[in-house]
Amino acid sequence: MSNKNKKKDPAKETAAVKENTSAAESLLDFDDDDPLGATAVSKKSLVIFFMIDTSGSMKGTKMGELNTVMEELIPEIRRVGEADTDVKIAVLTFSTGVKWMYSQPISIEDFEWTRLTAAGVTSMGAAFKELSDRMSRNSFLNSPSLSFAPVIFLMTDGYPSDDYKEGLKSLQANSWYKFGLKAALGIGNEANDDMLAEFTGSKDTVVHAYSGGELAQMIKIVAVTASQIGSKSMTLSDETNQELSEEDVYASKQKLLGQQIQELVGQDDSNPVSFDTGW
Amino acid sequence: MFKGFNNSVMGQTHVRSGIVCQDSSAYKVGNGFAAAVVADGHGSKKHFRSNIGSKAAVEAAIETIEKFYEDPEEFEKNFPKNHKSIIANIEKQLISAWNVKVNEHYKANPVTAKEREKFTDEEFEAIPIESYYGTTLIAAVAGNGYIFGFQIGDGSLVAVFDDGETKMLMDYEESNPANITASMCNANAASMFDSFYVSNKQVLALYVSTDGLYTSFGSEYDFLDYHTIITSQLVNIASFEAAVKNNMAKRTHYGTEDDISLSCVYDEDLVPKVIDAINNKVEENRRIAKERKARLLNK
Repeated sequence: MSNKNKKKDPAKETAAVKENTSAAESLLDFDDDDPLGATAVSKKSLVIFFMIDTSGSMKGTKMGELNTVMEELIPEIRRVGEADTDVKIAVLTFSTGVKWMYSQPISIEDFEWTRLTAAGVTSMGAAFKELSDRMSRNSFLNSPSLSFAPVIFLMTDGYPSDDYKEGLKSLQANSWYKFGLKAALGIGNEANDDMLAEFTGSKDTVVHAYSGGELAQMIKIVAVTASQIGSKSMTLSDETNQELSEEDVYASKQKLLGQQIQELVGQDDSNPVSFDTGW
Repeated sequence: MFKGFNNSVMGQTHVRSGIVCQDSSAYKVGNGFAAAVVADGHGSKKHFRSNIGSKAAVEAAIETIEKFYEDPEEFEKNFPKNHKSIIANIEKQLISAWNVKVNEHYKANPVTAKEREKFTDEEFEAIPIESYYGTTLIAAVAGNGYIFGFQIGDGSLVAVFDDGETKMLMDYEESNPANITASMCNANAASMFDSFYVSNKQVLALYVSTDGLYTSFGSEYDFLDYHTIITSQLVNIASFEAAVKNNMAKRTHYGTEDDISLSCVYDEDLVPKVIDAINNKVEENRRIAKERKARLLNK
């Protein structure tokens, strides 16, 4: 490269500032031989984090039911995203330790559920800390196409056996958590809804399942509703045409999630057979 | 001899809502330098003239760079030693030039009743004039044996070197979920610039793009590979430019639906000399991408 000492050349290349006003659609012309076709176009993406308690108390019907419903759920979430959002799934299990099902969030198209087994204690605080570490542009949220704050769905049947407050404090300092859609499901009589509301920030986004039928119902209601709201682009102005801050938009989404979950839960008239009575 | 090309395509969201393209792009091969520039107008309610703001930013950047290169020999005598302060000086003068442009526009085009009707009196009075024109800006410059660049707000700068190495030389701005970006209209804009200077490598091509391009990729690897592929086609750019524009249109249509701008300057003489190395790199990237995908699906 040597431009030094060049005389000014009136013919030197200059491009006037381009503003393109033509619709991009008119330029669409698909060519299989296009070398640029080697790099795929990515749709807007959303990551759904499932945090699942796999401690010993989940053994038996709870774990079996959870595995079945999660296998059924994947095609349903796939339908939510297929229009214009690439939904990615990350599953974090916690018992005596914490473990990710895949080493990174996986597109719902490629995701396959691995049946979980239950054993050990409930290290929920460690799970909160692990989630906080991974919810970063330098880690699990590194996709350029990431367009929405994540959905975080916690499922547990008991009280944490470690210092969950310490882990939650770390999570609450994470801006992805702050803007994310949080929901929680308590399974059986031992799960503490107040503690779960500490995690979600509101009682409206906490649901409870006392039977296998309810567990399936609640997981589907929460996961599908949260993915629908999570992948929705909300306007930055409200009905009075006042400009909303981004913070207000995310707060509106969380509020909407709580309202919709409560409405759908209210419609559920199944006759529960309790996990804790004979199952 | 450097050459260049640039394109801006309108985002699907803007097509649907009838809003004009908020991006602007340009390049210039001048006396002692080649520069590629893009800007992305914010496009939200209070930045209601940001399409004009982005055009003004691109023009101001090119004019400012040109002014600094009025005497290329003199410039290059000082630049290697004092690149940090000279780049900071370019940024300051560019902000000043942009402010002059948008204020001149404002004086010649007072706010219309239609523009004003979306705000209450209180809201409208709280918006500084410069904010009407809010925009990001990113510029890459190739000089004699060195390259440099600067940016305010989001957007990406990629360099492809003669050995095929393809690299982002400034970090993609760590945008939080609230998507807050630095802007030319900020009162402290001069302190919000990021910049780089590289003098020990031979550059083949420099690309700058607005964030609509970056966000249409699933991974940063794919984004970088995309630039290597374009570089492998620079020998036929006259025919390939249409394919690039078509691909950008495809990316906004099926991707994040944002406006996309890409501007490039490249060393026309160097391209044929290193084309084999670039083609090998493209093949290698393709193989590595397949391996990466297979690894990802392993539990």
